Order: sequence, then structure tokens, then C-alpha cells
Amino acid sequence: MIQLLYIFLGALFGFALSRAGATTYDYYAGLFLFRDFQLLQVIGTAVGVGVVGFALVRKFKPRSLLQRTPIQITPKPYKKTLIPGSLIFGLGWGLAGACPGTALVMLGEGKLGVVFTLIGLILGTYSYGIWETRKLLKVDVPEFENVSQDRDKERVPV
Amino acid sequence: MTEVIVWSGWAGGLAVGLYAMFQLLVTGRPLGISSGYCILCGCFSRALFFRLVREKDGPVNWRFWFMLGLPLGGIVAAVTSPGGIVPSFSLGAFYDAVFPDALWLKGLVLIAGGFLMGVGARLAGGCTSGHTISGVAMLNPPSILASVGFFVGGTIMVQLLFHVFFG
Repeated sequence: MIQLLYIFLGALFGFALSRAGATTYDYYAGLFLFRDFQLLQVIGTAVGVGVVGFALVRKFKPRSLLQRTPIQITPKPYKKTLIPGSLIFGLGWGLAGACPGTALVMLGEGKLGVVFTLIGLILGTYSYGIWETRKLLKVDVPEFENVSQDRDKERVPV
Repeated sequence: MTEVIVWSGWAGGLAVGLYAMFQLLVTGRPLGISSGYCILCGCFSRALFFRLVREKDGPVNWRFWFMLGLPLGGIVAAVTSPGGIVPSFSLGAFYDAVFPDALWLKGLVLIAGGFLMGVGARLAGGCTSGHTISGVAMLNPPSILASVGFFVGGTIMVQLLFHVFFG
């Protein structure tokens, strides 16, 4: 049943994105050509609502409906690849006229070009995942071994 | 092409911002999309990285179901608009004017665009939802930096498309 809730939430967000104009190609071109500020208004207002919302959540620490524990706000960390990654993302954003969320909404709207965009998104994510997995297997396996050895040491009674 | 009803930027932004807060209060999870593509990759690949992303999400595979809901929202938005759903490969007036007409060429350009977003979002640790709508609202410096990067990249690409390559 919980799956139905997440499907409903996805549909709600998708509807909001569509009504905001985020599923209309022309608004992306307008944004990056500085000719139409629809999406800038959307992002600005959404962020403004969020700043107030997150401040309230920090102050009152409400429990979420599903998890019954106080809501944790965990900001995304900085990493070395953040700046080049964000620029690469931006180039793709401008080229495709859609972002990872809106591309799926546009599929529902019958904007069939996003089929290609979605293939690209999956290929890009897949390539990164394979590359990252190789790195993890090369670097982290000895580290995991060290960790387990340390744990064994701790268990040895002194 | 489907022409959907579009609210004013302020009203649309209010809807998106309130939705993000609603999701946080109901599920305890801040809005974010791009990690969901790792979940999709995990449907056909057993690579460790995708399994780690999946494990981080806990027992409910929420990103998968959430992503399934997004196109449904698009269907509802389109059928409640005056023209209904009009399936088309058109990319709107601006992009149609600069992209090649041949479908396979247009497809290659869009695959390239999607590929850059897929790799870029992973390198940056999030996309326009996670970094911009959620992260900037948290006033999180790395997210603000990433969002600036998104806009700089988008501006460079579209300016090149419209003024240099096809000017």
C-alpha cells in the first residue's frame, strides 16, 4: 500500500511541475536566453517556500507521518566532482530542454522526444555506476578488510 | 504537441515548493529525483554502486514507485488541459528551429543531452530537484554552488545553440 502513496506523490509532483511550465521546452530556451523568466520565478518562489519550510522544520522538529521519528535535514555534502559535474549537468539540461524529473512527466504528456532523453539519462547514470563500481572494488576492498581486522582486534579480550 | 495549462510563475513555484514540504512532512524524505535513475539501472544491472544506492534507501524502494507516478501526473496535467494529449516528437518552437529535422539526428542530440545530465547529476551528487529545490532551500553551500553550475552550463549550451551553431 505504501507503494501507492509514493505513486500518488510522484503524480502530484509531476502535475505541479507541468502546471509550473517545467515540462514545456520553450521555457527552458527562454530561461537560458534570458528572454522569459517563468522558470526563474518558479524556482525562486519554490526555494522561498522551502527556506521558510526548512526553517520551521529545524525549529519545531516535527515527526514525519510515515517514519514517526523527528525529520532529519541532511544537506548534500561537497565533493571534488561537484563543480565539473554541475557544469556537465547544465550542458545536458540546456541541450535536452528537460531535467531528470520533468522528462518523466513529459513522457506522460506525450512529448515523445523525451524517450531519447530518458535513454541518455539511463546510459549516463549506468556509465557512472559502472565506473564508480570499478573504483569501489579497487580501492575499498582492502579498506573493508582492514575494518574487519580492526573489529576482530577489538573483540580480543585484553 | 500537447499544450498544457501553465500557471503564473509565482503560482507554479508555490505549488512546487508546497509539494516539496508536503513530501518532507509525510515521508521524512526531502525531494530528489536523479538517484532514482540509479534504482532504474539496478533493475537490469547488479553493479555494486547501484546496490549501495538501493540499500541506502531502506526497506521501501520509494524512488522506484515515485518515478512511476511522475508520468501519471503528466497524463493528468495533459488530459485536464483544453487540447488533451497530442503525442508528438516536436520540441517546441525554439528547439525545433535549431535541431535537425531528421528524427534519428534529433534523437542522438537528445540522448547526448540525457547522457550529460545522467553523468553530471552523479558527479554533482544531485539534480535540479535535490540540489536546487531542496538544497538551496536548506541554504546548503554545496547545493547553492551546484545550482550556479547547472545554470552556467545551461546558459553556455543554449547560447551556443542559438547564437553560434545556428545563429
